[in-house]
Amino acid sequence: MTLLASIRPDDWNLPLFLHILGAMTLVGSLVLVVVSLASARGGDSAAALRLGYRSLLLGAIPSWIVMRLAAQWIASKEGLDDLDEPPAWVDIGFMTSEPTLLLLIAATVCAGIAARRVREGGGRSFGGLNTAALVLVTISLLAYVLAIWAMSTKPA
Amino acid sequence: MYDWLLFLHLLAAFLLAVTVITYTAVALGAATGGRTLFVADRCWDVGGLGTLILGIWLALHLDEYDFWDGWILGAIALWFAATGLGQTTQRRIAADPTADVALMHWLRTLTVLGLLVLMVWKPGA
Repeated sequence: MTLLASIRPDDWNLPLFLHILGAMTLVGSLVLVVVSLASARGGDSAAALRLGYRSLLLGAIPSWIVMRLAAQWIASKEGLDDLDEPPAWVDIGFMTSEPTLLLLIAATVCAGIAARRVREGGGRSFGGLNTAALVLVTISLLAYVLAIWAMSTKPA
Repeated sequence: MYDWLLFLHLLAAFLLAVTVITYTAVALGAATGGRTLFVADRCWDVGGLGTLILGIWLALHLDEYDFWDGWILGAIALWFAATGLGQTTQRRIAADPTADVALMHWLRTLTVLGLLVLMVWKPGA
């Protein structure tokens, strides 16, 4: 696999670059979401919740789309999407990416409603929604660490 | 051995992305607390050291690459440039939390993108 990486055809580079760029932006956005939503449980809840919500909506979800489309592009260039039994690392990639989109959408909805409640004031509770978003994003992040491990170590 | 070095090298690179994304939010006008910037700066500290040390280790470990390859030296130069820009940004915010650090941030972002381009295309390898 090391040798394969070093002789990768040049026309795989652009999809690989976009895939990694999307994945890095996705993970970076999600860590920002976790820190913001965790901060919202303490001090300035309105600003922190807004930052967490916007990072999900404008950072994480578009990055997920770039990461996933580029993954499909490079999988088709490598012929991995035609295989009856793709390698385990490809399966792990699909298994971690697709379900987490649903988690991210659910987290965005929760964080959005929580941010709206705080903005409107009136003492309406947002703690449960904030915690739900935090848990969903943390699960997604753990899945992505597994995916990074699978993509780099390429288990058989 | 190679696989784990690459995994940890990549993980360290993802930590750099955390810093870049957080400062992008700052540059775009988001109100971030001190805790958020603290986490972002520590991610650069750990990710920066991790990418540099593990990257050099990988270059020495693999027969296909040599430490003196142009793309590796270019990556090290970009790493130092990005770290310098980041430290300047950090110092300016520490002195004045409302300081305009957008230019320094976007320069650092371009430098990190350059690093990623070098890592993927490996020109001259």
